[in-house]
Amino acid sequence: MTSPAVIAAAGEVGGDFFKERSSGTLPCQAQSDHLFCFDWAKDNIDRYGTPTVQHLEIVVLSVVIGFVVAFALALLAHRRRSLQPPLLAATGVLYTIPSIAFFFLLLPLTGFGRDTAIIVLAAYTLQIIYRNTILGLANVPDAVKDAARGMGLTERQILWRVELPLAIPEIVAGLRVAVVSTIAIATLVVFINAGGLGTQMYGSGNLTFPTSIIIAAAIVMAMALAFDLVLLTVQRLTTPWRRVRPA
Amino acid sequence: MPSGAPAREAQPKSQASSVRYDGATKRYRGASEPAVDHLSLEVPAGEICVLVGPSGCGKTTAMRMVNRTVEITEGDVLIGESSVRERDPAQLRREIGYVIQQIGLFPHRTITQNIGAVPQLLGWDKERIRARSAELLELIGLDPELGDRYPAQLSGGQQQRVGVARALAADPLVMLMDEPFGAIDPINRERLQNEFLRLQAEIRKTVLFVTHDIDEAIKMGDRIAVMREGGRVEQYATPAELLMAPANEFVEDFVGADRALKRLALMRVADINLWEAPLAHVGQATAEVRAKLEAPDVEVPFPLLVDGERRPLGWLSERDLTADVVPARPDSPLGPVLELDDVMRDALADLLQHETQYAPVVDHQRRIVGVLSVEIISEFLASPEAKTDEHPAVERPHD
Repeated sequence: MTSPAVIAAAGEVGGDFFKERSSGTLPCQAQSDHLFCFDWAKDNIDRYGTPTVQHLEIVVLSVVIGFVVAFALALLAHRRRSLQPPLLAATGVLYTIPSIAFFFLLLPLTGFGRDTAIIVLAAYTLQIIYRNTILGLANVPDAVKDAARGMGLTERQILWRVELPLAIPEIVAGLRVAVVSTIAIATLVVFINAGGLGTQMYGSGNLTFPTSIIIAAAIVMAMALAFDLVLLTVQRLTTPWRRVRPA
Repeated sequence: MPSGAPAREAQPKSQASSVRYDGATKRYRGASEPAVDHLSLEVPAGEICVLVGPSGCGKTTAMRMVNRTVEITEGDVLIGESSVRERDPAQLRREIGYVIQQIGLFPHRTITQNIGAVPQLLGWDKERIRARSAELLELIGLDPELGDRYPAQLSGGQQQRVGVARALAADPLVMLMDEPFGAIDPINRERLQNEFLRLQAEIRKTVLFVTHDIDEAIKMGDRIAVMREGGRVEQYATPAELLMAPANEFVEDFVGADRALKRLALMRVADINLWEAPLAHVGQATAEVRAKLEAPDVEVPFPLLVDGERRPLGWLSERDLTADVVPARPDSPLGPVLELDDVMRDALADLLQHETQYAPVVDHQRRIVGVLSVEIISEFLASPEAKTDEHPAVERPHD
């Protein structure tokens, strides 16, 4: 991950960051045993604005695209059971490709930049969202579907009014894992020049100057927590029946 | 037996249609034997037809042909005059109530929404659905406040009642009930069965009821179709006919060795010839009473003391009759008093429990109409006539 080629690529991406650092003096450089330099953080906090927004955009677009594709695949496989194993295998293979390798494999096709980043990150979400959607649909009790069919709901109505609402907990659980992991992996898109908070984390200088890594990591973690909390709230609001006390 | 036909006029809010199987056959691909084999039977509108038989006999498959959750391979099923095969399955099912053993309430919908599921499909507005739901909750004996709860907040018995209410919501022509009380404990099952029979007396739906329990079949059915493996009907008859004259060995075995006793569950005290009671009044000359006892057609060896309204007060003993006139306080207590409406099985249980041979039977005004004895019942059960005798007055116990 920290091969010279990668660091060189990162150097290009985070150009302004390193330039500024090499030209100016770093307040805490003398005391290299300092893990966190508050003075520097105070003066440089504004550098994180743009990368944070980039990071957010990449994550949201990747997860939305990944969700749409995985959800569509899951519905297809739900209708045609024979598609379930091959689709699970296909999304599983995508998931096993190491992320850096995946980025560089796509470079000849889609080049440096955000598109490649979003394709890779979306591909990573497929497995977990697909699998959880299938699982959620499979967990709907047969008796409920039998009753629905017997009452005259069409197959489409059974899917949208019965099966999917009941699968929400599993689907959201998959989304939560997908979002959190995407937020983490998106720190690597800096290596294909796609920006994000990775710009503030990876670079030759940063390895001996942990303050910026810590700040960027803290933003990443806060972002992950915030998304997780939002999704959890969405799940609770959309599944009130799960919170009732049984008779 | 009152059939459903006139009930339509009496209950204009409730509709029902006959169901006719016409050589209906179901073959599953790859199976050598058909699951249901040329089934032909008719269920008159407003009656409960029980499909009963051992597991694998095709009873559920036969039931599911009606709403096309099982597609018919050959033959037809008609609701009223129209073939189910010509209907769109989803549209058809909205006219047919559907109750299954596992209930299958929607866990994510409130009770009101569950009951309103079919009306919603039919495009009823919210207010009408809410009103109908409240009406049905009341009909099945649940607090309308439960309407805002989720199924998980109700007990199993309550959920099953809601299942019945949901099936009734859009006033279906036919109800399909697949072992609806099979998963309920025995005490609650009995209660739910009785409640459903009471409800049915009001709404008079045509019901196809599947069970493997012959006692439930006898209790619930106006007619019973006994089925065996391969989807063949061995006998289609009223419960009384089934118990009196099983068509063959299979039915006889399935009905059970105690079918004579089971018949008692179908009879009421009014259905049997009672003995005449030798009556005595307070102050009457005992000689007169003794003369009555010696009459040739009197089978009860003790006189029954009654009041001026012919209401029984107690039995007179030998010692009571030693006086000149009948005393005001009889020597022997009255013991159990039966009513004409009592189910014969319960009447016999009463006699046995009180360790007595005789019990007076009274009408609604509690006036004496006769005496029932253990002997009458055992003679009835033993008589060959009992097995062929048609009892037109036999009616299902409703309580």
